[in-house]
Amino acid sequence: MRKFFTLFVEYNTWLLFVLYCSIAFLFIRLQQNDVQASLHNEGIEFSAAVNEQLMKFNSLFTLKNENERLMRVNTDLLSRVLNLETATVDERNQNKILADTTRNASGFIMARVVDRKFSDRENMLVIDAGWRKGIKKEMTVLVPEGLVGRVTSVSENYARVMPVIHPDFKVIVVADSCSSMGILSWSGGKEFIAQVEHIPISSHLKLNERLVTSDFSTFSIRGIPVGRVVRIKPDNLFYDVDVRLAVDFSTLTQVLVAPLKIEPEKIRIMSNDTTTIKKRAHNFQTPAL
Amino acid sequence: MTKKIYISIIFLCIISLLQVFGMSRITLFNVSADAVTIFLAYIAVTTEQNTNTSFGFAAGVLEGLLTGNMGLHMLARTVGSFIAGYFHTPKESHTTIKQNSKRFYGAVIVAGLCANAILSATGNPLGFSPAYRIVVFGLLESFFNLILAIIVNWLFLRQSLAN
Repeated sequence: MRKFFTLFVEYNTWLLFVLYCSIAFLFIRLQQNDVQASLHNEGIEFSAAVNEQLMKFNSLFTLKNENERLMRVNTDLLSRVLNLETATVDERNQNKILADTTRNASGFIMARVVDRKFSDRENMLVIDAGWRKGIKKEMTVLVPEGLVGRVTSVSENYARVMPVIHPDFKVIVVADSCSSMGILSWSGGKEFIAQVEHIPISSHLKLNERLVTSDFSTFSIRGIPVGRVVRIKPDNLFYDVDVRLAVDFSTLTQVLVAPLKIEPEKIRIMSNDTTTIKKRAHNFQTPAL
Repeated sequence: MTKKIYISIIFLCIISLLQVFGMSRITLFNVSADAVTIFLAYIAVTTEQNTNTSFGFAAGVLEGLLTGNMGLHMLARTVGSFIAGYFHTPKESHTTIKQNSKRFYGAVIVAGLCANAILSATGNPLGFSPAYRIVVFGLLESFFNLILAIIVNWLFLRQSLAN
């Protein structure tokens, strides 16, 4: 017994170290636990609230640039409205044959970016809208210029957004004119260049072609601009395509959050295993593309 | 001694807040200096390994609460502090300021590398390979930490390390 206590006293630093590491591992293991999740949410709430105040202070210095950017956006929107008015007449004639799958696109929620991190530790945005404003996981985040990302976690007043420039982010895109489809992802390097895979070399994709989100995406509504093709290199079967992203992530201040796209029937039909899919559709945990 | 620990706890809270909300925004090559590591290295040199490990654990808890990723930060800080504890200078050792400073810098580098390796091994926010993240980002962060530690030592810690 005495030997045991001697051993205990002798190696107390190691025992303390092991104890702390065990607690840390326990927390990592219980990452999905309710208590841990609430702590996580409280962390986001506190961190975002402080950052919001810091950003407010910082925004005073960027007012001039912000005004100029808004003027550019207004000009762009005005030209789009004029184009759309002319297109509406043509559209009316086509409505009978085209199925409208963007019904859920109404009711965008506006939010402000209160925190933005792009480092080796974290790559995410925090917006000042949470479940109180109707934000849910997997909602699409965008700006008039294009796609920003998707919501990955939500607290009461804030939400965390995984941007397009995150290695885990993937979205199905379609070319504007030739309708070639591919999967857009960002694999590091320059923050304004992303890659598109699975575009067959038989397609007629051209340089400077605009890419938009496809209706095939499980989370994003269709037609959101993503970027323009800046490099096409043919590989064995598919093109190796580089895309210059439409959104400048360094200047994001206001964003829009699109309503959740719920298509359990579509997800069900895409898979053979209906039971798994029912569960996935219910939890909205399908791998988002 | 107890007074010193209380003061250190207050400093730890202030430095953690400063790190999460201030210093993590100042990045160079996507890497920022880590003020918490420098503080823990100072604690490692001046206090016993037990105290230092506990400080590391507390720093991890604080950072975890502020960032939302508790377990990982607790582990990274505990391991970093524990290893930095081997640079502790016993009171009766009669070491010079130069020797203490060297120990302090060593603790900064080792604690930074360990914490960075653990944090890099689990997350990949910029899409780099694990080896690149651990080696390049780790070395770069340690270099930034070292520069900051030299400045802090020169401005504030010299007297304290001499004692």
